[in-house]
This record gives sequence, structure tokens and C-alpha cells, in this order.
Amino acid sequence: MTEALIVTALLLVAGSATAAVAVRDPVRQSLVLAVLGVVLAVLFTVLQAPDVALSQLAVGSALTPLLLLLTVRKVRRRGQRAAGGGGGSDGRRGGGSGP
Amino acid sequence: MNGWILAAVVVLAAGVGATLWGVVTGPLRRRAAAQNLSTALACPALLLLAQGYARPAYVDLALVLAVLGPVGTLVFARLLADELADDPPHARGPTLTAAALGAAVVLAVSLATGPGRALVKVLVVGALLVGGNLVASRALAGGMQEARRD
Repeated sequence: MTEALIVTALLLVAGSATAAVAVRDPVRQSLVLAVLGVVLAVLFTVLQAPDVALSQLAVGSALTPLLLLLTVRKVRRRGQRAAGGGGGSDGRRGGGSGP
Repeated sequence: MNGWILAAVVVLAAGVGATLWGVVTGPLRRRAAAQNLSTALACPALLLLAQGYARPAYVDLALVLAVLGPVGTLVFARLLADELADDPPHARGPTLTAAALGAAVVLAVSLATGPGRALVKVLVVGALLVGGNLVASRALAGGMQEARRD
């Protein structure tokens, strides 16, 4: 039964990690990465490493997606400003989106 | 080894496997809802594992996930609000199913734990799990938009 558990967790990790590589859009990739963090924490628990699983949960389930989404947001705003603000008259409207 | 581990295998393979499929395919609304459900299903699995390994300290993992899972979903609901505004994800049926599964698992584990401080911890995990899941699902379904409009 323990082997079945380990195999299940390993298959979930392999599937989500492959999907995180295969998905190209960064926003959707961050969603897959959040699931990958949770599944990795389950794998660490199954392998009797609950301390590693705790830190993986703290980092992987909320922090990594937050950083990715904030980065995507900033890059998009900068791209919009560079494309649309040729005259530069609208100033620094979207400047304060950092954490 | 025992029934708890078997139940954890079933929850992981069927529940988390299904949410993995949902988060990989489909439109963005389905992916966001599936990400919310993945934390709501992994937390009962961790509770079942703690009971199956007979190590009450592993309940801490479920506690951390029950706190941080809805936080992650709220991050997505806030930062993807523009993309999700015209087509908000309504996943009432799966959300209620996941909440019922979490409540059933918490009930079974607390019955097996017996009275004491461990029981209080399991019950706190269950309240955080079900409440956080419902709040995060509501935020995904448009609560964040209403809050911004005010």
C-alpha cells in the first residue's frame, strides 16, 4: 500500500511538472506551478520528510505564483506604455505595482 | 497498510489527479477553479496520511495548507481579476463536493483521534479548510469584482 501511495504521488509530480514545462502562457503556467507545489509537498510527506514539505508548501502554494503574476503584470504594463505612450504625456500612472 | 492510507491514495489519484487534468486543459476560468480545488483536495489527503502513519505531528502540514491554499487562490483572484471579469468561474458543484469531502474526512479523523488537544487541532483544520475553500471559491466567482466596484 505504501508503494502505491509513493507511485501515485510520483505520477502526479511527473504529470504536473511536464505540464508546467509544456504550457507556454506565463499566467497559465503559474496556475500549474501552484498545483505542482502542492503535489510536491504531498510527495515529500509520503517520503517521510514533513519539514521539507512544510517549506515547500509555504513557498510553492502562494509565494511563487504571486511573484510570477506580479512580474507578468509589470511587464505587460511596461509594454503597453511603450506601445501606446509615444508622446509620454500620461506620466507614470502604473508605476506603483511592486510589492 | 491500512484503510487511512488507502483512502489517501484514492483521494490523491481521483481528486488531485482530476484537478491536475483541469488545470492543464481548458479555458482560464476552468484552470483557476481547478487550482482552488487542488488545495481543497490535497488538505484532506494530508490529514488522512497523518492518521495513516499514526503521526499527529503531520497534521501541521494540513494546517499550513488549509491556511495558505485559500491565500494562493485569493492571489489569483486579485491579480487575474481583469481576465476573469467577463467570464467568471462558477464551480458550485465541485466546490461543494470538495467541501463535503473535507468535512467527512475531518469528521472521520476526529472520531479516530478521540478527545484532547489533537482533536481541537483537527477541528481547527477542518473549519479553516471548509471556510477558506468557500470564501476563495466565492472570490473567484466574482466577489473580488464587487469589492473593487464599491
